[in-house]
Amino acid sequence: MSNVLRPYLAAVRSTLTAALTLENFSSQVVERHNKPEVETRGSKEVLLNPLTISRNENERVLIEPSVNSIRLSIKIKQADEIERILCHQFTRFMMQRAESFIVLRRKPVSGYDISFLITNTHTETMLKHKIVDFIIQFMEEVDKEISEMKLSLNARARIVAESYLTAVSSGF
Amino acid sequence: MSLLAPIICDNGTGFSKIGFAGNSDPSFVFPTAIATRGSATQTSRAPAVPAKPGHLASKRGVEDLDFFIGDEALANAKTPGYGVHYPIRHGMIDNWDHMERYWEQTIFKYLRAEPEDHYFLLTEPPLNPPENREQTAEIFFESFNIKGLYIAVQAVLALAASWTSNRQSDRTLTGTVIDSGDGVTHVIPCAEGYVIGSAIKHIPIAGRDITQFVLNLMRERGEMSAVPPEDQLRVASKVKESYSYVCQDIVREFRKYDEEPYKYFERYDGEHSVTGRKYSVDVGYERFLAPEIFFNPEIYSSDFLTPLPEIVDDVIQQSPIDVRRGLYKNIVLSGGSTMFQHFGQRLKRDLKQLVDRRLDASVLASGSLQKSSGVEVEVISHKRQRYAVWFGGSLLASLPDFYSSCHTKAQYDEIGPSICRRYQIFGSAT
Amino acid sequence: MILLDPHNVIIQTTLNEKLVKPSSLDVQFVDYDGVRFHLSTPEKKTVLLLSMHIRCWDELVRYGAIDVLQREYGALLVGQAEQDYNVSLMIDLEQVPAEPEAREAFITSIALFKRNAVAAPFESAFNTQKELEKAEGQQGELMQIHYRDEEAIYIQAAHDRVTVIFSTIFQDETDRIFGKVFLQEFVDARRQPSIQNAPQVLYSSRDPPLEIRHLTNLRNTEDIGYVTFVLFPRHFANPNVASGTISHMQLFRDYLHYHIKCSKAYMHSRMRHRVSEFQKVLNRAKTEVATAERKTVSGRTMMTR
Repeated sequence: MSNVLRPYLAAVRSTLTAALTLENFSSQVVERHNKPEVETRGSKEVLLNPLTISRNENERVLIEPSVNSIRLSIKIKQADEIERILCHQFTRFMMQRAESFIVLRRKPVSGYDISFLITNTHTETMLKHKIVDFIIQFMEEVDKEISEMKLSLNARARIVAESYLTAVSSGF
Repeated sequence: MSLLAPIICDNGTGFSKIGFAGNSDPSFVFPTAIATRGSATQTSRAPAVPAKPGHLASKRGVEDLDFFIGDEALANAKTPGYGVHYPIRHGMIDNWDHMERYWEQTIFKYLRAEPEDHYFLLTEPPLNPPENREQTAEIFFESFNIKGLYIAVQAVLALAASWTSNRQSDRTLTGTVIDSGDGVTHVIPCAEGYVIGSAIKHIPIAGRDITQFVLNLMRERGEMSAVPPEDQLRVASKVKESYSYVCQDIVREFRKYDEEPYKYFERYDGEHSVTGRKYSVDVGYERFLAPEIFFNPEIYSSDFLTPLPEIVDDVIQQSPIDVRRGLYKNIVLSGGSTMFQHFGQRLKRDLKQLVDRRLDASVLASGSLQKSSGVEVEVISHKRQRYAVWFGGSLLASLPDFYSSCHTKAQYDEIGPSICRRYQIFGSAT
Repeated sequence: MILLDPHNVIIQTTLNEKLVKPSSLDVQFVDYDGVRFHLSTPEKKTVLLLSMHIRCWDELVRYGAIDVLQREYGALLVGQAEQDYNVSLMIDLEQVPAEPEAREAFITSIALFKRNAVAAPFESAFNTQKELEKAEGQQGELMQIHYRDEEAIYIQAAHDRVTVIFSTIFQDETDRIFGKVFLQEFVDARRQPSIQNAPQVLYSSRDPPLEIRHLTNLRNTEDIGYVTFVLFPRHFANPNVASGTISHMQLFRDYLHYHIKCSKAYMHSRMRHRVSEFQKVLNRAKTEVATAERKTVSGRTMMTR
């Protein structure tokens, strides 16, 4: 991890840890409903102030806390067209498998690439600091993975082009 | 441009049958095997190191293109550095990475088709989880950009393959499918194109067991002493394929053979696969005993003892009462191990006896007041049995309805992989 | 497999099979670029009729396809092609040479049916170049081959070169971006000393190259691109090299698309790997010890929700 990235991740980590104080909370609007308040937005008083941590205009995290759930959305760095499409592919691939990533949201919040929804059930059945670890590790590795994918795409393209041109120039 | 023929891809546990719709036989039948670099156990993929610029010899970065499929995979099994994998287990896709590359080479090297120009019909085993359909759709639409996709259940295609007459009204997708390949035999009831999942039964006797049984019989008689050990299994399977048939009565058949051995015993001539030395063996009782293990399993195994007709009867009795008549009336055979001569007649006779006996018993129990009109039992054998599933696919994909039942790339982009959880049943008269 | 083979595998395997054991046959299949084949035994089991339909047949005929096929197949060529197809070959299995090597060469040449038909304009361009060698500044006819619905090959000979231009269109956004990366590498690859002899490659998106700018039937949309190969006499002076060049040039588009698909498949497997790694990290957060995945005998997974 580069030193530039560290303070950014540290900020996300401490904010997220602080925000993960969730409790079971039934809906105040509909009887016998118990839904993530950050999604239903039924009553204002249970929602807390959303918070944006941004590293630069292309990379930011939105954390929206509420009494029984928090929503965390990440905008991943996309320097050019290739990174944009790779990032899109990767997040879509992951969200397609949201079933097994219990805290992953199937669709990102608009303006972001990927969103997580952590509810009080999750914090009760899982270790809180490990959930935070997961998010941080995800943020750390997703950038690395996308740039590696880009590199390998370029490398492949070069080999493919070279093989073809070698074949043409040698006639076989 | 006129529409190019849809591609039918039937990937089974042992063999893949691949070809174009409208043909009566698949263009390619080869093992569902893939030989990749690296040992067979190492499946994890370390992030590839980008190639050093400017040197062709450093092929790092495209090592995932270095693989063989089908017969070439088996041929390369002994090449150092290659490991053979079977991406499909028990009919279901086990290793998606291998399967994706398997398809890639199937399309580009063997079929030489551009996936963008074609519709695809794929098959799946009964009770395939919908997640697998989604993953398949993801690969085909996102990696290959195919035009449209239809995923059909193998048993339903086998039913379609048995449509013999051209009359629309005779086309039914209700029936019982007996699908016997190399590894396992299934009995699958289908009602109007939908598989009755709760009533499916598996029989652990199939092609491989029959071959083994033939081998045992011939060894016991001492025939195999002339055959080199490495060729024995091959000889047994040849004998099974070329000389076996189903008899109607074992005792009578034994007597016939003993009275006139010269009339019934056959000779099989072989050649040693390495040295070329000639040998020949007598083929006797195994001619009718081999397929007999479906009807009297006790002659082969001691832990599975239910004859096939009884299993079929059980399966139908477990299905909803309103489709049972249809299931008895349309029992369809599919797969190589149902190709024995007279297999259908024997199955029909045994099953009919079971059904009649039960009807008689119920007449007796009701005090002879209620009399049944009888149940029609019909087993359908046809020419295309060996690749019935593929042929059924070819048939369905040449119907005009096929294109409207497919999910297209545009629909996929709009809705996502979940669209492939459901497919419309089409082609039958009802 | 990095390079694609020029021959059709189905023709090859079917012929090999039928030479051993003739039987009646009636199959239809395809090749790249929407070419359709029909292989049948209309009269007797030992006489095969192979018919081919190519989208741009009329154009190919104009550039001398008939002559090329006549040269390659001679008497095999049938005067009246089968209905719905452009050209047919009649192959009598009894006339096929018996020696293994000659037989293999024969089968390979049949399997190159499509390649030979499409080779005509290339060959004619190579010949034109030779004629023009003395006349500097002259240019040969601009040949257009609309081999796909929206894409075409343009070939033009000049006194010292033959220019081959492919127009490319990508249906899919991902393909378009991947394709750009690949094409850029094609342009750059020539800087490597080992392949300095390769044809020069140029790529332009949207703006057609000078040679074809005057054509009126070009599409003028955002998604179109043009790839130009400049072939010099060294790429086709020797007949063997020329035939290799033709085979590779024909398959350029298919090669490109094949590798785009392969890259996407590779990305998928990377992502599968990465996602399963993330899964492991998340599973560490679970308090109770996760039991191993249990499978039934048929391979189904037992899950608790």
